[in-house]
Amino acid sequence: MIAYLQNIAVLFCINAILALTLNFIMGYAGIFSLAHAIFFGVGAYATAYIAMHASDSLLLCMAASAAISAVLSMALALPALRVRGEYFVAASLGLQVIGVTIFSEWKSITGGLGGMIGIPRPKLWGYTFNDDTAFLGLALVVLGVVVAIIALLVRGSFGRSLMAIRDSESAAQTYGKHVNAIKTLSVAVAAGLAGVAGSLYAFYITFINVESFMLETSILLMAMVIIGGTGTLFGPIVGAALLMSLPAALTYLPFLPPTELGSIQQIIYGLAMVLLMMFRPGGLVGGRSKEKSA
Amino acid sequence: MTTSTPSQEILLQIRDLNKSFGGLHAINNVTMDLPAGVITTLVGPNGAGKTTLFNLITGHLTPTSGTVHWLGKSLKGVEPWQVARMGIARTFQDLRLYSQMTVEENIMTVMERSSWLWQGGGAAATQRVNEILDETQLTEKRHERAVDLAYAERKFLSLARIMASQAKLWLLDEPASGLDPRSFERFVTLLRAYAKRGITICIIEHNLDIVIKLSDRVAFLDQGKLLAQGSSEDILKDPHLAAIYFGERA
Repeated sequence: MIAYLQNIAVLFCINAILALTLNFIMGYAGIFSLAHAIFFGVGAYATAYIAMHASDSLLLCMAASAAISAVLSMALALPALRVRGEYFVAASLGLQVIGVTIFSEWKSITGGLGGMIGIPRPKLWGYTFNDDTAFLGLALVVLGVVVAIIALLVRGSFGRSLMAIRDSESAAQTYGKHVNAIKTLSVAVAAGLAGVAGSLYAFYITFINVESFMLETSILLMAMVIIGGTGTLFGPIVGAALLMSLPAALTYLPFLPPTELGSIQQIIYGLAMVLLMMFRPGGLVGGRSKEKSA
Repeated sequence: MTTSTPSQEILLQIRDLNKSFGGLHAINNVTMDLPAGVITTLVGPNGAGKTTLFNLITGHLTPTSGTVHWLGKSLKGVEPWQVARMGIARTFQDLRLYSQMTVEENIMTVMERSSWLWQGGGAAATQRVNEILDETQLTEKRHERAVDLAYAERKFLSLARIMASQAKLWLLDEPASGLDPRSFERFVTLLRAYAKRGITICIIEHNLDIVIKLSDRVAFLDQGKLLAQGSSEDILKDPHLAAIYFGERA
């Protein structure tokens, strides 16, 4: 039972990091990306490859995953960021499709559809995180660091610049904001930190394949952000906690047929999204509605 | 044609400016100067090309031909954010406030040109924000979101942002439209005060009260052409221009 809860807690930490980083661009910069799972995947594959072929050092693998995800995000986002709103959503969907194809076809690096098996647990200053409790501690620390980084960014001038761009790109430009540079940097930060989540995931699961980085993951992350509250610091964490605990909670309801749990879960997600958009569009944590108050 | 005296520094120089959108000649061979410390009002009927002229100055549009020089430097190919950093700021007819940000954040972010985590002059910046809030009478609303403000307050927030920009030239697109008489007087007083402090102002305005009360000079545009420049008395008394303005063209 404890192992089961620990497992959920570690996966919550990873998903919370992903939701936080997606919210960084979606909630603060107004960049709606459907390709976040790709940067998560890039981080996971980078760590898996380095850990299996070079070094299982936690810091090295995490730093490399963050750097590769960030650099790739810039290469991919630079042309895409020239388009706005729904056009960027479509462009990011294209990125997601390209990414999944590369993950499943570049066999020499990603292992193809079969994925990569036997990723070692990470080492930090000679200590190996073989124990799941220790790994949970590590995941919580990484989550805390990511929260601190994002809080520092969004509560300062960088965050105000992002929100200004979100609310009116032309006005932001008119008042001296280098919109493309700020947007590219924000995508790189979000992708880099998503890469850190990917690194944690690869080290924890010790097996990765393309299934974990599909469009469904990107949509689930978006749901976490929207349900928790876009443009809020703790909303994505609440969203991640809810959506990660829901499947586990449903299994404890004896009157639900176990074979239908997956479908019921999907219906609950969908219903929650519809009801939230109707009655609390700012999300569970978001006190600010998107429209003018009555 | 220009009313500037030889002693006045020319901040902005527009020469033979043209802008076409397909077959539409939105700006047609416009040549004009904006001298330092002078309040110029652009008047003309709807579709005269006034906002297009602003967009060409600020880099939001690229001229088909002609030049715009700011303090002697060509603005050709200069991005809007660079134009802003060179000292030209503008407001928009539809305001384009940062709607989900608070009044204070709207002003603060304009003062932060770069987006580095640590900005210099923290205490001075806070003091300046307080001054601007006080001048625009938005102090009590400082923590409210822009989207939740009343219309006149939004107009003053738009003005507050340009006050925070430290620009030498303000381009104001219909800044007083829809203001009640009391707000209008406050608005005129504020603009006069900033003009006295050396800010050069160019206003697009349909409200003839503003034209008369504020303008040092008026430029009359119609169908993309600059038809006349001069004092407000001269321009507004011209029966030919009045006929065009009020849609009574022959």
